[in-house]
Amino acid sequence: MAEPKIEKWEPKIVAFLCNWCSYAGADLAGISRIQYPNNVRIIRVACSGQVNPWFILANIQQGIDGVLISGCHPGECHYLTGNYRARRKFALLKNFLQFVGLEEGRIHFTWVSASEGVRFARVIEKVTDIVRSLGPAKKLVKRI
Amino acid sequence: MDALINRIRGIAKDLLREGKVDVVIGFEEGTIPFHSRPCFVRSPDEADRLIWNSFCENNLATYVVKRNERMGIVAKGCDTRALLELIKERQVIRDQIYIIGVPCEGMIDRVRVEAELRNRSIQTVEVREGTFLIMGKDFEKELEIKEFLYPSCQVCTRKNPVIYDELVGEEVEESVGETYPDIESFEGLSDEKRWQYFSEEMSRCIRCYACRNACPLCYCTECFVDASNPQWIGKSIDESDTALFHIMRAFHLAGRCVECGACERACPLGIDIRKLNRKLSKDVLALFNYKAGISLDEVAPLATYRPDDSEAFILEP
Amino acid sequence: MKAKTIRKKDISGFLDRLIQAYRVYAPVMQNGYFLFKTIKSGSEASLNYHNTKMSPKDILFPQSEVLFRYQLDKPGVEIDMPAQDERNLVIFGIRPCDVRGIQALDNVFSKNPKDPYFEERRSKTVIVGLGCKETHNGCFCTTVGGGPCADDGSDLFLIDIGDEYLIRIISDKGEVLLKEEDLPDAETQKITAAAEVAEKAQEALRPCVEVQGSEDILTQRFNDPVWDVISEKCIGCGVCTYLCPTCHCFDICDEAVNKEGKGIRIWDSCQYPLFTRLASGLNPRDTVGKRMRQRIMHKFVYFPDEQGMLGCTGCGRCVIECPVNLDIREVLNILLRTGAAR
Repeated sequence: MAEPKIEKWEPKIVAFLCNWCSYAGADLAGISRIQYPNNVRIIRVACSGQVNPWFILANIQQGIDGVLISGCHPGECHYLTGNYRARRKFALLKNFLQFVGLEEGRIHFTWVSASEGVRFARVIEKVTDIVRSLGPAKKLVKRI
Repeated sequence: MDALINRIRGIAKDLLREGKVDVVIGFEEGTIPFHSRPCFVRSPDEADRLIWNSFCENNLATYVVKRNERMGIVAKGCDTRALLELIKERQVIRDQIYIIGVPCEGMIDRVRVEAELRNRSIQTVEVREGTFLIMGKDFEKELEIKEFLYPSCQVCTRKNPVIYDELVGEEVEESVGETYPDIESFEGLSDEKRWQYFSEEMSRCIRCYACRNACPLCYCTECFVDASNPQWIGKSIDESDTALFHIMRAFHLAGRCVECGACERACPLGIDIRKLNRKLSKDVLALFNYKAGISLDEVAPLATYRPDDSEAFILEP
Repeated sequence: MKAKTIRKKDISGFLDRLIQAYRVYAPVMQNGYFLFKTIKSGSEASLNYHNTKMSPKDILFPQSEVLFRYQLDKPGVEIDMPAQDERNLVIFGIRPCDVRGIQALDNVFSKNPKDPYFEERRSKTVIVGLGCKETHNGCFCTTVGGGPCADDGSDLFLIDIGDEYLIRIISDKGEVLLKEEDLPDAETQKITAAAEVAEKAQEALRPCVEVQGSEDILTQRFNDPVWDVISEKCIGCGVCTYLCPTCHCFDICDEAVNKEGKGIRIWDSCQYPLFTRLASGLNPRDTVGKRMRQRIMHKFVYFPDEQGMLGCTGCGRCVIECPVNLDIREVLNILLRTGAAR
């Protein structure tokens, strides 16, 4: 069978979604047949607070063009304070990566609740547009 | 200076004689000019090795971790900040150390001095009031101490010890205000310029880990660099791996780094490591109103939260 | 021995011509210190220096070296060897202590079994040594059997005699470099002047410890608690081993992404705590004292035993760059005299 030809570059985006809110919100979008760009690969985590900065950096190193982390809205975390911890961690990380020169717009954070299927789709659309405009990932990408 | 040295020696002798400590960690004369170095004194007779001068650049706090002895420790401003953080992180028990605090006006940057002398061979250095005299084979030069302080000392905001059992010497005037003009001006540069600067600095790194080992707050028994399952980064000088090493080491120190500068002084290739740490310190101060190594009561910023923490970075579709 | 002279101001032109046919590594100043780098023009190089920050061992034994690459997407495995630069290489202006370092590495990598990666470069290398007119405060080459103007191991050897360098022609390889140059034969008085420079530099650097007989004394002191006392301030940073011209420990890693990968050799250091940790978790060298002992014993007992030369060339980089000023000369003095340890 012939290999399918990829004519136009499309960004690869990885989204870490917390199980209780954001992942359920993405699921709702799916059930409701709301269309959103298929560039995103979803990884379900227990909580946004579980996301280790290494997950983000490992993705970037392997050439992923954009990374999204989404958790419950503050005050609604299933584990009570996980998203508060994530909020502090990622405020620092986002600024820091920008500081060393990584393009602003490669890494995103947001809150999506279980009932926000439409919001989830909009988040994906926005992130995909932003990452597409930045072009393929080059900085910090590891070449074998 | 001599009165200060005598005081330090006197305190060390008393502590050892009275059996209050098993060892006093301080500084002694080095074997080459511009180097004073750590020393471990275990008996009152040895206490006369202890000195204090403008070359005492090491952060001795790194020696208190995982040490089962009762220690006396000579500590300047930044060293006491590191000790405070270590106490907070339970790497040393407060009662285990007797802190001999010494107000510090900065240490002399020997690398810059050598550059100033254009590599002419230095034989001796004599520190005086406000100046230091360098003698070479066929030259002599006197320089102002203030002009040749380490970059970390130039912006130091805690010259006086923040925690101590005994203070040696007069407190000195502190600089007022916590500002980061160097970071602000760097932030004003374009993405590309910042990336270029960062890449160039990283290109010199030989992954010797001197920065990590000199840092008092890097005390993990197994560093992430040595993790193999998963292996977070490769060990070669690949640019991506090296960049991530520095990014993540700095991030692991977010809210913990006391900006003592031991890292950049240990680096054999003069890489601007502290800039990364300073950016994080600046953000930690701005976002969480916290500065490392100042108060035992303040909880570490990443170990807590406030319901009204900044959400400026959150994406809204 | 044949000798020629070259004016200092003609060095740059000489290098320009060498660059046409060779990869030339010379001391280059950047960020306030010197490193050996390939130069594209003679003007980049400077011989007005004490020594480079890093030893030139990384020319022949790089910090990171790809040993092979592989692909898995075709049936079986396809292995590629890294491409090599065809040209010969010249290390220009290297100090005698660093030449000694290369001789030490020769013992490790050029004997049976030969290391093909090292050999590939070493066989193409021409060494132009530069004698030291004066030494700096970390130097102790005369203590370990070397000298500021020791020319063995070099193919050509330069000695500073004022406005000119005397060039001692040590080998045929070296003579080839001068073939195209129209340099005058050295006059007798200049040869004498050079010998005086060498003698003066040698005299000025007194040996700081008697190393003869050190093998026995160090072996006897193997279990002495003095090792822990000497090394207490060591922070295990590894700078001494990385900057040392003779240290050669390495690690081999595999890195892969999906269906392609590579094997890499990288520097390692016996001063790192995990250096000897076994898969079981046991670590034979689990204290700083044991690691420091290893370093000293390797350089002054095991290496001489196996290779017939000391594993230390007295370059002094470990002395100058050690963040805590752990001075190997002092360590030797303590160990080799029976006096009390500091």
